[in-house]
Amino acid sequence: MEDGEIEEGPMGGVDEDEQSSEPRKLEESPFEILRTSKTSVENIVADILSIKKEAKPKQHLRDLVTQMFLHFVTLRQANRNILLEEDRVKTETERAKAPVDFTSLQLHNLMYEKSHYVKAIKACKDFKSKYPDIDLVPEEEFFRDAPQDIKDSVLSSDAAHNLMLRRLNFELFQRKELCKLHEKLEQQKKILLETISNRKKFLTSLPSHLKSLKKASLPVQNQLGLHHTKRLKQHHSAELLPPALYVIYSQLLAQKEAFREPIDLEIVGSLKDAQAFARQQAHKDTGFTMMFYYSDMSSTADSSKLEDDAPDEEEDGQRRRKRPRRVQVKDSLDQGGIFQAHPLKIIIHLYEDETSGPNSAKLITLRFEYMVKLNVVCVGIEGSNDGPENDILCNLFPNDTGLELPHQSAKLIVQDAKTFDTQRTSRPYKWAQHLAGIDFLPEVSPLILTDNDGAVKNENVISGLSLYRQQNRVLTVLQRIRARRKAQLALLEQLESLTKLEWPHLSCKSVPWALHTPLCNLDSWSPVRVPPVPRESSSPAVVDKEEHVQEPMDADINERSGATKAELESITEDGELPTLLPNMSKLDHSTQLNLISKSIIPPLNKIRSQSFKKLDDSSDFLLDIESDLDEPAQIEQEHENILSRKSVSWMDYGLREFRLVLCRKITADESNVNLEAKIKISMEYPLRPPLFALSICCISSGENHDGTGLEWYNELRAMEAEVNLHIIRMLPVDQQNYILAHQVSCLAMLFDYYLDEASPSSERTNCTSVVDVGLCKPVNGRFLGRSFRGRDRRKMISWKDMNFNSSRP
Amino acid sequence: MSGDATNWDEDAYRETVLKEREIQTRTVFRTAWAPPYSTNLDTLLVASSDGSVASYSIAASKLKNPFGFVNADTDTLLAEPNCFVQAHDGPAYDVKFYGDGEDALMLSCGDDGRIRGWRWKEFSNSSSLVFSQGNDIKPVLDVVNPQHKGPWGALSPIPENNAIDVNTQGGSVFAASGDSCAYCWDVETGKVKMVFKGHTDYLHCIVARNSSNQIVTGSEDGTARIWDCKSGKCTQVIDPAKDLKLKGSASWVGCVALDASESWLACSSGRYISLWNLPASECVSKIPTRACVQDMLYDNNQILTVGTDPLLNRFDMNGTILSQIQCAPSSSFSISLHPAGVMAVGGYGCLVDVISQFGSHMCTFHCQCV
Repeated sequence: MEDGEIEEGPMGGVDEDEQSSEPRKLEESPFEILRTSKTSVENIVADILSIKKEAKPKQHLRDLVTQMFLHFVTLRQANRNILLEEDRVKTETERAKAPVDFTSLQLHNLMYEKSHYVKAIKACKDFKSKYPDIDLVPEEEFFRDAPQDIKDSVLSSDAAHNLMLRRLNFELFQRKELCKLHEKLEQQKKILLETISNRKKFLTSLPSHLKSLKKASLPVQNQLGLHHTKRLKQHHSAELLPPALYVIYSQLLAQKEAFREPIDLEIVGSLKDAQAFARQQAHKDTGFTMMFYYSDMSSTADSSKLEDDAPDEEEDGQRRRKRPRRVQVKDSLDQGGIFQAHPLKIIIHLYEDETSGPNSAKLITLRFEYMVKLNVVCVGIEGSNDGPENDILCNLFPNDTGLELPHQSAKLIVQDAKTFDTQRTSRPYKWAQHLAGIDFLPEVSPLILTDNDGAVKNENVISGLSLYRQQNRVLTVLQRIRARRKAQLALLEQLESLTKLEWPHLSCKSVPWALHTPLCNLDSWSPVRVPPVPRESSSPAVVDKEEHVQEPMDADINERSGATKAELESITEDGELPTLLPNMSKLDHSTQLNLISKSIIPPLNKIRSQSFKKLDDSSDFLLDIESDLDEPAQIEQEHENILSRKSVSWMDYGLREFRLVLCRKITADESNVNLEAKIKISMEYPLRPPLFALSICCISSGENHDGTGLEWYNELRAMEAEVNLHIIRMLPVDQQNYILAHQVSCLAMLFDYYLDEASPSSERTNCTSVVDVGLCKPVNGRFLGRSFRGRDRRKMISWKDMNFNSSRP
Repeated sequence: MSGDATNWDEDAYRETVLKEREIQTRTVFRTAWAPPYSTNLDTLLVASSDGSVASYSIAASKLKNPFGFVNADTDTLLAEPNCFVQAHDGPAYDVKFYGDGEDALMLSCGDDGRIRGWRWKEFSNSSSLVFSQGNDIKPVLDVVNPQHKGPWGALSPIPENNAIDVNTQGGSVFAASGDSCAYCWDVETGKVKMVFKGHTDYLHCIVARNSSNQIVTGSEDGTARIWDCKSGKCTQVIDPAKDLKLKGSASWVGCVALDASESWLACSSGRYISLWNLPASECVSKIPTRACVQDMLYDNNQILTVGTDPLLNRFDMNGTILSQIQCAPSSSFSISLHPAGVMAVGGYGCLVDVISQFGSHMCTFHCQCV
């Protein structure tokens, strides 16, 4: 209210008088003046109001108004004074502010500086050296080594600080010196590197130089008949061969050089890899050398011993101790690479040994490789992609299919995989192990052979090698391979001619069948793909030759071997007499033993049955075959089964089977007689001659139908015996490879003779009295012209002068 | 063992392969049980085509499975003989006992035309080893068939003896010989007492009919003949094939058998068996068989036959098949009957199958190659 009034005052133009009056009253204090004048104005206004209210005479009004104006004036004056005063104070404050600002700025600067210093100090305090483990040079060293100028320099008044600073300086100095040295050395290094690289460059260019030099020298070498370079190279790589391959290489080389064995040896594979491998091996083995050494010795010894079935007691204990550890170690190695092969391989070219010329024909090329983890040597035929069944190296020696790992330790390593990887073309044949001398070699890489315990080992190896040489292993194997290859080539030739249905050519004429011109026809020749199935004996033997011949051989064999197994099982499941096997066969052994252990002598009081059928129908072995009576082919089939079941696993490996049909027309009654032979040719040909199983069937046009061949049973067996066994003993040695041809020819001859005898057209003269015509005198006695003899009615066949007893089982 | 590259003997290996085959092609021609009243009744004699006569004890302990000689994979039951004698060159065809018990003579005949006899006691007590070649016991009887004189002094080959039979009362051995004659030998002197001539081809079988002092022979010529031993004359010619239109060679008489009363004669002819009543001398019945019969015998009133199929047939006198038992040899040449009813069948493949009277197989074995 009062302010408003005060404000209003100067607003209204009426206040001008008061302003002028005010300074008068400003003498004490404008504010006082303002207040008193205000109260007096209020009083006057109150008076006026009271006059108005009491309706007093208005003469006082004039006084009052003037008074009031006076007061207004004073008010104005006071107000003005106040404002003036204010302005003055303001200017005064303005003037005082500048120094204050300046000082505060200064303060801020100082504060900032201070914090900066604090931070710097902290940073210094927190400073971590790049090399925290290097301490400051100790004081005594400082005093001893520091140069005088640093020692004497005074950097601070504080003695301790000074010392520290000096030490620091010294340190700095020292380090700087070292840096300088470092730089110098770097430079030197650089120079050296440069020279090295220069030399390297020279070295890399050297081989080409040398090569060109070598090339240039070749004519000279040829001139002089030297072939050093290659041989040296080979020798060099031979040093990197694993011991097993080294034995093969060295022994074969020795054989070649000593006996002019027509072979060529070659080491293939990257030398670098081999070196790397050897180094790696050495590195790996150093930790375990001792352990490896002994365990390997014992295990290899064991594995050979195990084959002998007579493990030494001590060895046995050692093995038990060592083997688990070893297996562990092996396991920790690369598991996937169990079949890891050594980078170096040996290639052996085998040449014909009989031809006299220097360029004898190459027979076969073998590749030996070494499985590092398994410690076995594998062999494959170079450049052949045949399946394992067709590998002509299998069963080179009896029971050596190459399917199984040859020794126990390797089997332990592989464990889950029962047999060797069948997909591989090279296989771990036992003979390869023998050739490699695995049986006496320790499994250690050659680089650590220098160990001091090598002496014992070396003795072992040396004695092993001498045994090796005594046993003529190299020669044996080479001869076997050569013989096998030649036999296979000869066999192939014979098979080819048979496939073309031509009688195979016989070069040897000193045997009866070579001179016999067969009367029967070679009707069909086909590989058998499935096990023999019972055929209708009356049906003509129609064979689609083309189809059979063109089938890939291995597929046939695979299928057949599989099916034979199945057949085997089905046969045993039939509940048929398990011992019904005239041939050597793989039987359930226990069954047989059970049969035997039955008490053979029955109670002596004879219990006789009128009929077996009534008594013991439930017996497994009593078979009611009456139903079979109208199936004349039964026996035939059985015989075939029996022959096909003659499966002794390894002998059947790589077995090929063929079916040969000889056909003979009998003019008398217009019938055909077919002699069917199932021929099993094992990989061991000709050592194991082809096995013929014969059956016969007559196909007649007329009613006279005799298909069973039962009547011929003994004759067929006699022919089998003759073909399978007896003629082989008659054959000269050089004809061994042509056994099959001989067998087929002989079979044809026998077939002819048997038919000639059997046919009713040929007159038989049982008794002949001989009359000497010239003397006209009957000579006493009779000649007995016999064609049969013995209880089995063996046929007598006379051939020229030789009485040829067709079967002497 | 010529095993591998370290110790290779190719010839030896070839020999083992062939030997293995030889066993498969060898034939057992006769199985015979030990004579009655002797101690070891469970002994089986086996005469096989390699000329050996060997005895096998069928007691379980003796029939061990020896180590297969090629390798252990061939799980063949190769039985080792207890006693063994190399009786003949060429096949041994027949074994008979002369006499009973321990004093019996073991007679064998074979392709070399010999009849040889050993004392059973000596033979069964000899533990003849295989490597002795079976020649260590001396035969007490050793006779050879005579050779025929041909023109210009030529001698015929020695005819073989295909079968023998004995007459202990007369002290004679009858042999069916390859020169179409039957011979009667005196056991004591070793001389031929009688020659029975008449057949036109070689003899397969012979059976003595001691009750009437006769013998019955069967021949390749397709007939069987009954001979009188006193006179050596043929009393009857039995031609089983006469009224059968059998063609060609399929009609030889491979075996004959007499029943215990010696009044019934069974006579095989090709694929027929004909039954003859001897007193009435007439053919009673003809039994067709599936295969050629190669041996047969009477078991009371039944006939057991084996032949070129792996079956043991049992017929009754009417020719009905009573039973057929599968047996191991695919072609059997011999059946013999133990008094206790156990049958032994021997045949091709050098196999012997011992079958109980109930038809179960007691054991089957290969005779070992010697």
